[in-house]
Amino acid sequence: MARVLCAWELGSGLGHIARLLPIARELRSMGHEVVLALRDSAFMDMARSAGFEVLAAPLLRGPAKTNPSPLSLSDVLLNLGYDDARGLHGALRGWQSLLKLVAADVVMADYAPMALVAARIEGTPRITVGSGFALPPAGEPIPALRPWMPADPRVLQALDDRLVSRVRAAANNAPGAPDSAREFFAADAHLLCTFPELDPFGSREGVEYLGPPGRPERGIEVAWQEPGRAHVLAYLKPGAPRVDAVLAALGTLDAEVVVALPGIEPASAHARSNANVRIFAQPVDVPPLMAGASLAVFHAGPGFAAHAIMAGVAMALLPLQLEQFLVAQRVVQAGIGELASPEHAAPDFGEWFSRVMSSASLREAARRSATKHRGHSFAAAARAAAGRIASLAAA
Amino acid sequence: MARILFAWELGGELGHAMADNALAAVLRTRGHRIAFAFRELKPLGYLDDCAAHDVFQAPVSLTEGKDAGTPFTFADLLSGCGYDRVGHVAGLLGGWLALLERWRPDMVVCDFAPTALIAARALGIRRASYGNGFSIPPRITPIPPFRFDEAIGAARIEASEARTLANANEALARLGAAPLENLAQTFEVDEEFLTTFPELDSYGSRPAAGYWGPGYNIDTGVPAAWPAGSGKRVGVYVRKRIPQLDSLIAALRDQDHRVTAFIPDLEPARAALLASPRRIVSDRPIHLAPLLRECDLFVSHGGSATIGTLLAGVPQLVFPGQYEQYITARRMEQLGVGAWFTPDDDDVAVKMARVLEEPSYAEAARGYARGYAGYSPAEQARRIVKRIEEIVAAPSPWKRSMPGGADAILAPTSQGTKAP
Repeated sequence: MARVLCAWELGSGLGHIARLLPIARELRSMGHEVVLALRDSAFMDMARSAGFEVLAAPLLRGPAKTNPSPLSLSDVLLNLGYDDARGLHGALRGWQSLLKLVAADVVMADYAPMALVAARIEGTPRITVGSGFALPPAGEPIPALRPWMPADPRVLQALDDRLVSRVRAAANNAPGAPDSAREFFAADAHLLCTFPELDPFGSREGVEYLGPPGRPERGIEVAWQEPGRAHVLAYLKPGAPRVDAVLAALGTLDAEVVVALPGIEPASAHARSNANVRIFAQPVDVPPLMAGASLAVFHAGPGFAAHAIMAGVAMALLPLQLEQFLVAQRVVQAGIGELASPEHAAPDFGEWFSRVMSSASLREAARRSATKHRGHSFAAAARAAAGRIASLAAA
Repeated sequence: MARILFAWELGGELGHAMADNALAAVLRTRGHRIAFAFRELKPLGYLDDCAAHDVFQAPVSLTEGKDAGTPFTFADLLSGCGYDRVGHVAGLLGGWLALLERWRPDMVVCDFAPTALIAARALGIRRASYGNGFSIPPRITPIPPFRFDEAIGAARIEASEARTLANANEALARLGAAPLENLAQTFEVDEEFLTTFPELDSYGSRPAAGYWGPGYNIDTGVPAAWPAGSGKRVGVYVRKRIPQLDSLIAALRDQDHRVTAFIPDLEPARAALLASPRRIVSDRPIHLAPLLRECDLFVSHGGSATIGTLLAGVPQLVFPGQYEQYITARRMEQLGVGAWFTPDDDDVAVKMARVLEEPSYAEAARGYARGYAGYSPAEQARRIVKRIEEIVAAPSPWKRSMPGGADAILAPTSQGTKAP
């Protein structure tokens, strides 16, 4: 029996907990003891009601002014509070106390670099899980986030050095404190809960691609109503740029369209729906809809993209932030979708959606990709992750 | 030897951490084991003598105050800190329960930590509330408003309390714990360490309260001395984010005062602007006690240092950043010992000159301090420690209201959660 501390330190939204819970359940069914330390207390009850002991993860406070376009993952972390050695010192002590309190045999870190540092110093085995964005690509210094924009290696190195010096100061240069950014991000294993085609920095060596370990949150059940027509499934963020233009264009398609805009006023969803387009104000249950879809329109979140891949559906991607943009680029590289960059002029959305939907080459590539991942089982991915974690604890 | 956990859940700045640390240091030297569960862990970097303690993140809402409107009552405050949604309160409570079950304190000292109080209550753990008036409302139903300069209807007070109480109770039910009869029951404790004086109490006069006197720390910190020369002696401890910081720095430069300043995290450029042979800028808290005998003005944001320096007879200039500090600022005005600024006021130099030059301020400050001449925060701490030791030496008068054992807190309402 091993004691596993699941740590989530940075990032927001449901994705982290959606990844951690299925793996935690699998670990528990193998007889291990799992404790979660979570960043966002709004999600703590979700894990507790799944039967887990849940503690608060040490929080960092970001600087008053952040750099709007960080150059590397080191720079991203400096933006999230890692430029403040005193703040880091408190967080490190918090993680060290948690490791001791739980008597953890292994740490599973989901975007939790300070938990990794604490585990390094305490000599506790550590493993990362994630969608790939929190783990930098190979290279010294830590490479630029935007490979298409050249960055001076000396600037990148200076960012790494700054990060490492802050972390070492926070640790009072304790034995085990990382000497380089590479060491800072290192772990005994890196489990990527995504497909290689969706790894923002992939496909790469040194990681294990397990695919998504869990089904997304179950939303309301919606079925396609017109079997003979093309089906378009859109999942969009209310209020995001261009969403109104996208909705208008979806209405012009010769297709049955289902749009999830979780968080929009229900009355507004109703008012904007018509014979062709049904808009829902809640999350919808994705897999059954995806199975019959000919086009997926969304912001390139990796979880939703994995479902599109498994179902062999071509994607029209509207990334809103960098991680989504990198995932969208990977989808384009795999030939299974196209992206509309937020930094370029918007395309004629109606024309674009029609073209992506009717493209034989995209459809063919999506079908090949689906064949490759058709056998993917969420349960098997969660089991594989749990198995790796348990074997590390036993080593 | 007892295990004592200090919980700090709400409220900002360094004051809470410093007050808790001062008490913890005494308890530690007497052989007790200490844990801190703090809303912010960064202040640990400013504290001495805390290396041996376990330190944990307190469960807090990441969206505090968002869309919450202006709080009038303690129920409003809680509502803005996660109590507006049952799932969120249950998460916060579950986090405290898990921590208390794991660390197993004999007693929890709650410094503005209502959810920790409720969790300790559910587990039947001895507990105290510890804080100045603002964090310990009177135990009256409904809890009265702390906002005194705007009217609020009784119906609104009652509705807010009822809503917050209902959410807390539904969360307690999810966790298998007994409900609260009213919100004031949160503050049912083994001892209420109300660490203020009646004239400074945020809630004004309250029925049947015992005042332990304010806690403040002017006896540790980096040694400093007033620079030589002839100007007035001005001590400064403000947050970096006060809107008038640049005006304050300019006023201190223009008026040629002698200054000792601690402004946490001040950028090097601004620190360089302020610093001079006549103006000491420290990057750590300054040891204030020796400076206060000759201090003409203390500039602060209305935290515990304001009170500590007032009790040394020093007039005050206050830049309150939130409502609790605003109440303190108003108390300074009422006592005639100082002036304060709204976020929009930009007459820093004018008010500073007035408080320094009009003798009434210094006279009132000295008069107030004379009234408490025998008061010593060290003696206050000694008495609080003694009371804590009495409480932990006696059997706990409380019973846990939820199923026992470490496993039982894990979703008692859900099925099949045990490993095979």
